[in-house]
Amino acid sequence: MASISARRLRKELNEINVEGCPAGIKLLSADNFDTWLFSIEVLGESLYQGEVFKLMFRFDANYPISAPAVQFVVDETRGAPIHPHIYSNGHICASILGTEWSPVLSVSAVCVTLQSMLASCKVKERPVDNDRYVRTAPDNPKKTRFQYDGDTV
Amino acid sequence: MAQRRVPTIDDLRVKLCYICREEERYDAPENPPRAWTHPCRCTLVAHESCLLQWIQSSQQTRSRAPNALKCPQCSSPYVLESNNPIILRLLDAANKGLSAIGKIVTVASFTVVVVSIGTGMYILCTTYGAYALREFLGPEMFDILLSDDPARWPWHSFINLPLIPLSLIMSRLPTKSSITPLVPVLLAWPTSTPIRANDSIILDGWRNPFLRTDPREFLHPLPRWPPPPMILGLFVFPAVRQAYKRMLGNFTRWLLNSNTPHGQDMQRVLNGNDDEPFLRIRVNANVEEDVPIGQANVNGQPPGQQGLDANNDNEANAPAGDAVAAAENTIRVSGTSLGRLIGGALIIPRISSFMGSLLLRLSKHSKILRKILAVRPPLPTGVVPPAIPRSLFNGKAWSEMSLLKRISYVGYLGLTVAWRGTMTWAECDPVWWRNSLGLGVFVMAKDCVHLLHLWLTKRELESRRVKNRSFEDVDVQELDLINPSVYS
Repeated sequence: MASISARRLRKELNEINVEGCPAGIKLLSADNFDTWLFSIEVLGESLYQGEVFKLMFRFDANYPISAPAVQFVVDETRGAPIHPHIYSNGHICASILGTEWSPVLSVSAVCVTLQSMLASCKVKERPVDNDRYVRTAPDNPKKTRFQYDGDTV
Repeated sequence: MAQRRVPTIDDLRVKLCYICREEERYDAPENPPRAWTHPCRCTLVAHESCLLQWIQSSQQTRSRAPNALKCPQCSSPYVLESNNPIILRLLDAANKGLSAIGKIVTVASFTVVVVSIGTGMYILCTTYGAYALREFLGPEMFDILLSDDPARWPWHSFINLPLIPLSLIMSRLPTKSSITPLVPVLLAWPTSTPIRANDSIILDGWRNPFLRTDPREFLHPLPRWPPPPMILGLFVFPAVRQAYKRMLGNFTRWLLNSNTPHGQDMQRVLNGNDDEPFLRIRVNANVEEDVPIGQANVNGQPPGQQGLDANNDNEANAPAGDAVAAAENTIRVSGTSLGRLIGGALIIPRISSFMGSLLLRLSKHSKILRKILAVRPPLPTGVVPPAIPRSLFNGKAWSEMSLLKRISYVGYLGLTVAWRGTMTWAECDPVWWRNSLGLGVFVMAKDCVHLLHLWLTKRELESRRVKNRSFEDVDVQELDLINPSVYS
């Protein structure tokens, strides 16, 4: 019997395949139950019109009890969206990925939340402590203890 | 009136666990069955085991703990029922209490360690200070002012004594300050009152046969010989030291002035700090100035004995083995110089006392030296001169004075004591004075040796030539000679 995380992820993947992703989100790869990649864009009026970002989910064996590690992919072709809660290395300061995570959320729910976080952005700017954080940030954003300040998602 | 039946979890056709997303239809129960629970006010249901796992994991993380016992969708609180007897709660409380006590114990033992190390250092420094004072003042004055019994020590000795080794070490640091090593000795002790030993009397009286200085003369404003210790400590010694340093610097520059780059290296060394020049010259001789360590390696030079800064800058370029060797070398070099610094500082009182007795021995052959040293025969056993002769306050002159006059008289007396030291200092054999002079002589001698060493080193560097050889071992045919016929 596969682990709980694998069984739940298989179900989530099945759902995505059957019902499709929410609008503006596409599954790029889900070859295993460790890492999934999505493309995400904000539809309609927003500061990010025409920009497509790549979102990476990493799961550990305790998913969904433990939250997935979610970050934007930064490579030669793409950067992380410029947003007050997104660092230039792709790490996201969002409470649902940390203290507010709960198993009732799912991969596509997280995608939608992040999409609306981008859509509601008013100023395109990096977090104030971006340089300091990026210099010392761990590889896995879950190892960071973010301080969520109020107006997050 | 029949009450409306309220459905429960068992009435659902399909149960979907919101945590593991597994489904169970009512007509196809799982085997073995797993318990389901509906813990809140909304429609979410879950396997009891899944939910307990979630609650437990949330409670283990402090930042997530507030959300552990409520529904993520409707926020209604979960009610946990458990077998939580009073004994378990007691044990939990005891456990918490014990960890709190454990923290206190940790802090306390750390404090104890720090305090005992500090106390140890304090005792060590104080003991050393007493030793230094004995060396410097001579046993006679030491017994009068301090003695071997700490119970009789004046209060200020507990501040002053531990400062002595520190100020000795400070005085050797390469700062530009003009701290003389004798400051703590010469500032606090000249005004210190003698302690009354059990078997001795503090002499007093208008004309005591034992006292060699007339108390009235004690108040004399004119300078006395040897010079008052406080003025020496505060002004004369620092000024002399400063002037001497400048002179020595000029002389060194003049002596070592040369056109070779080596000479300039030495100049820089000397101008920087004259405390450890021997060592530094060796350091400089091995390492070319401004050559990065990588290049030095190419040239096959040992990378060791670099300054610490240079090491840090170039560590990344140097191969790991070399970096380790270089670091070891650096530690050895700095360790040597640190030991030398502290050891050299702490031996100052001994040297000073040794040089003082040397001067005393020399003075037996020279009247002038005897005058300069102001040697006095030791006081009779058991006689202790007072700090201030009380007789100054008796007698006719004192009783006839007005209050104002008395105040100014006492003020004048206090000032005299502050500047010139107590009667005790005036009466005792001024060992401290010849020791100070001796220390000065020693410093000069040391600097002379040091200069000689520098000068010889410089001469050696300048006189270096590569020895010329003839073409004895070479076939003459291979050489393009001006006049080959002569050699064939």
